[in-house]
Amino acid sequence: MSQTIAPFTGFGLGLRKPHHRAYLEAEQPVDFVEIISENFMACGGQPLATLEAVRERHPVAMHGVSMGLGSAHGLDRGYLAELKALARRIDPLWISDHLCWTGVPGHNSHDLLPLPYTEEALDVFVRNVIHAQDVLERPLLVENPSSYAAFAASTLSEWEFLSAIAERTGCYLLLDVNNIYVSSVNHGFDPREFLRGIPADRVRQMHLAGHSQGPEGMLIDTHDAPVCAEVWALYAEAAQRFGTTATMIERDDAIPPLDTLLAELDLARAVTRERLAA
Amino acid sequence: MSLAALQRAFIAEIAASDEDAPASSLGMQIYRQAYRGRLAAALEISFERTRCWVGEESFAQAAAHYILTHPPHCWTLDAYGADFPALLGELFAENPEVGELAWFEWTLQQAFAAPDRAALDPAALAAAGLDEAQWAGLRFTMAAGYAARPVRTACLALWRALAEGEADGFDPASGEWRRLIVWRRDHTPHFRLLDADEFAVLDALARERTLGEATATGDPARLGEWLAQWLGEGLFSGFSTAL
Repeated sequence: MSQTIAPFTGFGLGLRKPHHRAYLEAEQPVDFVEIISENFMACGGQPLATLEAVRERHPVAMHGVSMGLGSAHGLDRGYLAELKALARRIDPLWISDHLCWTGVPGHNSHDLLPLPYTEEALDVFVRNVIHAQDVLERPLLVENPSSYAAFAASTLSEWEFLSAIAERTGCYLLLDVNNIYVSSVNHGFDPREFLRGIPADRVRQMHLAGHSQGPEGMLIDTHDAPVCAEVWALYAEAAQRFGTTATMIERDDAIPPLDTLLAELDLARAVTRERLAA
Repeated sequence: MSLAALQRAFIAEIAASDEDAPASSLGMQIYRQAYRGRLAAALEISFERTRCWVGEESFAQAAAHYILTHPPHCWTLDAYGADFPALLGELFAENPEVGELAWFEWTLQQAFAAPDRAALDPAALAAAGLDEAQWAGLRFTMAAGYAARPVRTACLALWRALAEGEADGFDPASGEWRRLIVWRRDHTPHFRLLDADEFAVLDALARERTLGEATATGDPARLGEWLAQWLGEGLFSGFSTAL
């Protein structure tokens, strides 16, 4: 098993259904695309054919939402087998999933549920990451989610928890800048302290996305809007700290034409360029 | 509380059967709403034409009942609606086209993305040089996404009318039982209605009976005609013979 993931610099977008035709018809000005792994696992027909055609033109990052790395009940072996089969087919840049759990045996929430940041949860998460990495024969990237509930039992901050996972498992990190911002508002921490607490040499990708206003001042990670000014500002600081890390914009709802997202991606390029020049 | 206990309690709260029960926190309320909203949206996407036929309110009530009684257990949300057609069949027992339409919508989508299986080339079967005993012992593997069920309404015509916005006043009664099959060839789902004789033989083959056993269930005089048609339609993806 390869123990490392070489840095990859570039700017990408999520491969989403409304844009499949555009990707099939012409090479698009992106350095990579990211897929939702589950959309192509145990799957064939036109969806898989589309992915394979896009893969001929663009590197692909596999981003999952259902591994449930924080599950106290362990990982789904069938899920891991299907994920590994897809990875063999696609030869992705990397495979990522979230700092979360998704369900208990027999009941999947299909959501990224929050963990208490305790030593017990850390041990569980580390054990599951090591299991997944052994099966997949590659290091994972673990992403910080947005969260709406916190636990009084937590003894670590989210960034301390992430750092400990990276240190104990050899995994890498996918920093979602929008999620840092959303959670900082929801839980009242300083997002810059989050950035400072992350080991820069473990970050291999960053996500940008839009969010929406929830009840009582809460923010909800909805991926249905352009990246907001506050997140761009935080991204500029992240770009300065983490360098030219692979960056992509996630848009999963109210998906605009591809050209609109490409223009937004150009903003990410410009922010990175300006910040590195400074 | 252990992490395992915490996670069981968390899931129980966000999936609680009493929708009006207050959540333990604003955050939990957000997770609860997201849980229900995500599952309801998955059903709306999977059963778009069925929803159009029964109306948004009736569909929402059926979906809410399904969400409470069928917790998702698979890692993919794409599998969540698998039992919804059966529930609709029960809830709309007086309108049997509803369950049949839902089954057809669902099965077409499953066929569209089913794992690949190339269609059996009839020339490969001809080139196998099977003798009479081997023909009788022949078993077929069905095409990608193959599924079948009996239907007693004009659910296919209804499905087409809904696509064209012409379902107002549509009478789905047909008065006779037919068998509906769905499969995928290359990247395109196909479907067809069969009479009982043809279906009896095809169904036996789909249940991995030998050709000899399947023939015993149907009209052997039409077997050659059916076999040629099935091969031409790409209904099989492979064959084997025990002899």
